[in-house]
Amino acid sequence: MTTAAYLALGAVLFAVGTVGTVVRTSAAGRLVGVELMVAAATLTFAASGVGFRELDGQIAALIAIAVAAAQAIVGYALVSRIRRPA
Amino acid sequence: MSIDQIVFTVAGAVCVAGAVTAVAHRDARTAGVALAGTLLALAVLYAGLAAPMVAAAVIAVALFSTLPFVVHLTVPTSRVHEAADGPTVTALALVLGVTLLGLLAVAVVAGEVPVNVSVRSGDGYDVAAFGGLLTGRGAVAAGGSLVVLFAALVAARAARRDRQPVR
Repeated sequence: MTTAAYLALGAVLFAVGTVGTVVRTSAAGRLVGVELMVAAATLTFAASGVGFRELDGQIAALIAIAVAAAQAIVGYALVSRIRRPA
Repeated sequence: MSIDQIVFTVAGAVCVAGAVTAVAHRDARTAGVALAGTLLALAVLYAGLAAPMVAAAVIAVALFSTLPFVVHLTVPTSRVHEAADGPTVTALALVLGVTLLGLLAVAVVAGEVPVNVSVRSGDGYDVAAFGGLLTGRGAVAAGGSLVVLFAALVAARAARRDRQPVR
């Protein structure tokens, strides 16, 4: 497969995530959209790294995944507190 | 079609379908499972891109971050449990998890599990170069992301600490 195919898939995923972030009204739904957008950016990083035959893309992808995990942890903790019964 | 094309077609289709389902479905359980499926399909794509480290990180995020949240949102837990005598379920789960991870590490060290799972690169994965890059040019960024991740864990722990039991 060409790198462009992976980049196109990343663009589609990012678009889906953007739509979800904008359209959904619940906090959890928007978190899912943001997760998808970060996943698309990570795929783009990794595909670009392969395209340029450099490992830097994978390093950037790993960092993006770590930041996405941190965002997910904080976001889910906030959503859990919001959903907590009084 | 080559193996590369088949893997990309199947994993890409699963990825897009899972993403659309995760965004469109209002049921938290369905959306969460679809998101986890999307992440796992992405891990397959990363393996196809000769990026096993990134694939492993995505699998870890899917299994230890996304799925627990789905379970937390969908399973009713508004009961106060009495402390049980002996080893708790949590401790047993920890022991099981550490044991399985230890077995996996032993298998990797013994060469039973191939580090290179890529269908694209047949000459192996340069783990040494990746580690050198991670501790060299990318050390500051990698360290910063780890600090952010640790701060997030501490923040989530603090948010959970003052949680009142619900009767």
